[in-house]
Amino acid sequence: MVDTLFIGLSIGSILLLVALGLTITYGAMGVINMAHGEMVMIGAYVTVLSGIYLGANLLVAMPLAFLVAGAIGWGIEWLLVRRLYGRLIDTLLATWGIAILLQQAVRLELGLSFFGIHIDGLGPGLQNVDVPAFLRGTIPMLGTEINAYRSFIILVTLLLTAMTWFIMYRTSIGMQVRAVMRNRNMAAACGIDVKRVNALTFAYGSALAGVAGVMMAGFKTVFPDMGASMVIDGFMVVVVGGVGSLFGAVAASGILGEINGLVAAATNDILARAVVFGTVIVVIVLMPKGLFSFKGR
Amino acid sequence: MPRFVTYGAYALFMAAILLLPLVVDDPFWLNRFAKYGVFGMLGIAVALSWGYAGILNLGQGLFFGIGAYAIAMSLKLASPTSLAQGSDTPVPDFMLWNAEPGAQTDLCCINSGSFLWIPFQSEWFGMLMGIVLPVIVAGILGTVVFRKRVAGVFVSIITLALVLLVRLLIIDAQPVTNGFNGLTDLGWLTIGGFEFDPYLTETYYLIAVSLCVVLIGTRILVETRAGLILQAIRDDENRARYLGFDVPAYQIFFFAVSALIAGFAGMLYVVVAEFASPTFMDLTFSITMVVWAAVGGRSSILGACIGAILINTIEASISETEAFVEAWKAIIGLLFVLVVLFLPRGIAGLAKDGIGALLGRRKTPSPVAAAKEVTE
Repeated sequence: MVDTLFIGLSIGSILLLVALGLTITYGAMGVINMAHGEMVMIGAYVTVLSGIYLGANLLVAMPLAFLVAGAIGWGIEWLLVRRLYGRLIDTLLATWGIAILLQQAVRLELGLSFFGIHIDGLGPGLQNVDVPAFLRGTIPMLGTEINAYRSFIILVTLLLTAMTWFIMYRTSIGMQVRAVMRNRNMAAACGIDVKRVNALTFAYGSALAGVAGVMMAGFKTVFPDMGASMVIDGFMVVVVGGVGSLFGAVAASGILGEINGLVAAATNDILARAVVFGTVIVVIVLMPKGLFSFKGR
Repeated sequence: MPRFVTYGAYALFMAAILLLPLVVDDPFWLNRFAKYGVFGMLGIAVALSWGYAGILNLGQGLFFGIGAYAIAMSLKLASPTSLAQGSDTPVPDFMLWNAEPGAQTDLCCINSGSFLWIPFQSEWFGMLMGIVLPVIVAGILGTVVFRKRVAGVFVSIITLALVLLVRLLIIDAQPVTNGFNGLTDLGWLTIGGFEFDPYLTETYYLIAVSLCVVLIGTRILVETRAGLILQAIRDDENRARYLGFDVPAYQIFFFAVSALIAGFAGMLYVVVAEFASPTFMDLTFSITMVVWAAVGGRSSILGACIGAILINTIEASISETEAFVEAWKAIIGLLFVLVVLFLPRGIAGLAKDGIGALLGRRKTPSPVAAAKEVTE
């Protein structure tokens, strides 16, 4: 039982890792970023590339992925998203186009494959990342053996959540973000530079996804399409938790993760995912604002 | 835009579709164009729910898939291999591969779910289900969603979750649905003794005429009073509600019509492509339909239809070269970003402006667009 619950917790922490970035971009900016999964993918590829070219392990790749994904996110905001504020559905469509572009950029090795140049680590194939030795194997806890890498993911998720909470609730820029979340025009009237806040939020959300990608690379195969299904999972968490609610995202990912883990233990993985989708539909129909949402003004 | 120009465009398009076999006589290409005609129908379904009802359905593939599976079950039972399994009634071959030892080779009891296939021995039943099931599912879903006043992007997420849910259930029900492999090795659709070989010109005409009927039918539908009220709801749901209209009733009705078109398209696709698979319910496919409609013009029925056919035709001609297959995807991605940014009304919008300029009229922005500019 403990190990089933632990697996649920670890699935939940992965969901949260992906959803954390989405909950702020969607909540603060009203942008549905379908390219979020591709930021995860880019984070994973940063891990692969830094392993090949720098001989670095996962821990070194984390800050790198944070910076690279953050920079790309900033670029996307600057080029595209800033032209689409207030057009929610259009942001979904346009960022979906961006998602395809990013996937193809990796698959075609930034277009160089047309000229017969091959970049090691990119391309359509599957990549693998080795987990450093101290994260392999299991550690004994509560009478059972639990997977060391899964515990590491939970730990990293906790740290990132704490960091995000600190930024959002204990810093001046976080207060500005929350102000924009509640009422964009009022925030602007109070002298907050909404454009700057938006750009920073989008970059930070993407950067978090990049770190999520590093963690994914440790236990999943890395390939160009890997992000596509994650963005869906991320949205489920955000919508169930309540848009813009950090606590909601934590709770929702825990609930969905445990449902997934428990049903999978009782039946199989496919049905478990189906049950998760079913839960999401029921929650949206019964509580369209999500489980934990603030009163809009 | 004067009426006669719009109707002229419809007439021109339908003439082109119906006269195509005079120009293209290669059965391979005719079969391809039949498939694109089916995609054109999907474009119409998306334009109706997105452009006219304001409901972005990211799970249109669900209805397409249901229609496809319904007819594919009938055609699977009609295929020579199903008839030659050594039983009195046809039995799909994959059921025998997975059957437990000693199970009776008959649809009633070869496995616990196979009895569901029994009525599909009649092709008429399969065809009926391909129409009725999508409408029922859309009716139930629409009733739940629209009566609860779930709106905007949440509808999109629900439809998206539902299509992925059903896809997983189909994959999981391997003994009944052949899971991930889908239904292949199908027989031909036979109506009144005529076999619709997918590479025949007659089969192309089946698709082309169906497309024209759907196109005209949808056009008439949106010009009825109900269609106008639907557009009023799209533009301002609350105002329509205060004016006394039963808003959810209109939304449910048009949502179901859009599902019907998608289910019908799914059936026709199986007739020309000879398979049904869970990939019809992939998220990518449902979003791809939205791309077709967006490029063609999301609020133009004809535009969305042409968009679907055009994109697929270009894709087919480009993808002949192996290296361009991946590049084409990147082009689609880029095209899509550009269309959303600079051409929100798609090809249809461009054409309208162009014809308007030719007729010497000044471009008048729609009241909604003008209002949007003011509020932004």
